[in-house]
Amino acid sequence: MSGTPGPDTPPPVDIAAEMRTAADYLSRPASAPAGTGRGGRTSDLSMDEEIALHSIGWEPLQLVCGACLFSVPMGVWNWGQGEIASASNAYARAFAGASDQLHAECTKVGGRGVVGVHVQAEVYRHHVDVVLLGTAVRPVDATGLSAEPVFVSDLSGRDFALLLSSGWAPLGLAVGASFVYAPRRSAGTAMKQKSQNIELTNFTEAMYSAREAAMERMQRSALAMDGTGVVEVKVTEGPMEFARHAVSFTAYGTVVHLVAAEHRTLSPRMVLPMDDPVQQFDITSLRG
Amino acid sequence: MADQPGPEPGPDPAAPSGGQLAHGPVGDPPGGPTDDLPEAAERRFSEGAFTSGLTVPDFAACLQMGLEPVGYVQGFCVMQWQWYGMGSPFGGFGSPYAGQARGYSESWQCPHGFVSAEHRGWGQNYEQSWIEDAWHQGFDGAYARMLEEASAAGAHGVVGVTDTSQPLGDLGVLEFRVQGTAVRVAGGQLPADGRPWTTYLAGQRLAKSIEAGLAPVSVAATVASVRVWAYCVTEYLTEGSSGGWGYQAAAAEIDQMSKAHMAVRRIAREQIRGRLGHDSLHGASMLTSERELGQGDAELQCILRGNRVRRFKAFDPLPPPRPTVRLL
Repeated sequence: MSGTPGPDTPPPVDIAAEMRTAADYLSRPASAPAGTGRGGRTSDLSMDEEIALHSIGWEPLQLVCGACLFSVPMGVWNWGQGEIASASNAYARAFAGASDQLHAECTKVGGRGVVGVHVQAEVYRHHVDVVLLGTAVRPVDATGLSAEPVFVSDLSGRDFALLLSSGWAPLGLAVGASFVYAPRRSAGTAMKQKSQNIELTNFTEAMYSAREAAMERMQRSALAMDGTGVVEVKVTEGPMEFARHAVSFTAYGTVVHLVAAEHRTLSPRMVLPMDDPVQQFDITSLRG
Repeated sequence: MADQPGPEPGPDPAAPSGGQLAHGPVGDPPGGPTDDLPEAAERRFSEGAFTSGLTVPDFAACLQMGLEPVGYVQGFCVMQWQWYGMGSPFGGFGSPYAGQARGYSESWQCPHGFVSAEHRGWGQNYEQSWIEDAWHQGFDGAYARMLEEASAAGAHGVVGVTDTSQPLGDLGVLEFRVQGTAVRVAGGQLPADGRPWTTYLAGQRLAKSIEAGLAPVSVAATVASVRVWAYCVTEYLTEGSSGGWGYQAAAAEIDQMSKAHMAVRRIAREQIRGRLGHDSLHGASMLTSERELGQGDAELQCILRGNRVRRFKAFDPLPPPRPTVRLL
């Protein structure tokens, strides 16, 4: 095994010399940065994500966010039957409101889309809170506003770069949520089942009902964006903390579509790590 | 032999005077204290062996970059925040009816007309700039003390910075801690203003930043605080109240709260952009918390921090990374 770099391997970087150059640059009075026009930007992407973005010709612009709180009317969590439409509707409206604001902020700063969106969705007894936070990005040479609608995606910078390299592009976030009452058992049934190991079909059926409704809504939302599919779907499910007789199912993910003539295979290279089985450095101990 | 003097006893790091600040407590906001390095810290830095908070991989990466650790530097500041009202050094008023020192403010009027004396006829969102000033006094004070230690150690920069703040007991007291590893750049020069540069990054992450052409300038952190005084509609919508007069609030966006959430995040971003100049903020982290104060009232706080970086060479993206699959 030789240490000679292959023909497609970039030449090694003298990182100590680069560090000295950086220190010398900082020793001069502050001036416009090298490569002007890229100052005053904010991004919550990690350095790895940013490098991945740069490698496909994109760059971060600004942190953007959207927030919407939507009320749930009084009394909707009381015992009942079927779907709790007011809560499902509040969730959808809160998500749509936050997403609209994110689109508006991204457009305002000249972004073509938002990547790495952190989704924070909380359901309370009387309101649903949705906050979306991400980094607006655009191609390096792009200027002005885009004629295309901006996209919103919870994919990381790395996943976004991989997706584009494969000939696909994100369109937006698709979301679906459903809240369903678990029908009350009769007193006789409850007494009879008290000493049995038995499935509580009312809860199982309520969960199935919520899941089907939420997944269908997410899928419809993807189709409404002319998407081919949804990737990185995240789901939450279970009884509500403040209403144990109601179950919730929420799902969201990034809608994607094929923009190249056909899917491009990346042919990854196999690597066999030869690390010693020692305790690895905990990267989360660092900020940044 | 008995007449020969023995080696002079070294100073006792645990001596009572060791932790005393040479120039007393924090005084003038917002810049924080200067020239109050404890005597024990000066002794410690002059003793030769370096200290560092770096892990071994980070230590190895720093050496590869020509960064020599010189000392683990720390800054602390304990603040008591009991009094924000009129007459406090932060000059604020604890009431929306008296206005606020500066910044965002928005109000809402009741659509119902007179209902009762308890009815919330109007509400207001407003920026609590005095709380932001107090937070900056604590953070900037701790940060300045860390920088002072780094300067005393002859450092060019501080890497792997961590900052935390935590309440001490139930005393309305908050402790700020800023810590990192002071380093010297082999063959490098001091920053123009003499203040060491700082970064939350260390090791390979810092190396990647340098390789991408981004030099660390400083860590940047700010806080925004917004108080929500709910008016009747916000109260009904957030508390599920009927209002007591047969008024049933329909499902709707809670406009006042939505705007407060947007405002607190916008203020934090604007504040930090105001500090960047031509530089950029990378690896930002935004943490927002909400404290419910009852009946729709709330206090929102947003802390935004990240690495302020400056491009030191022309934009030159690295080649696309090669996809790999790990065989385990």
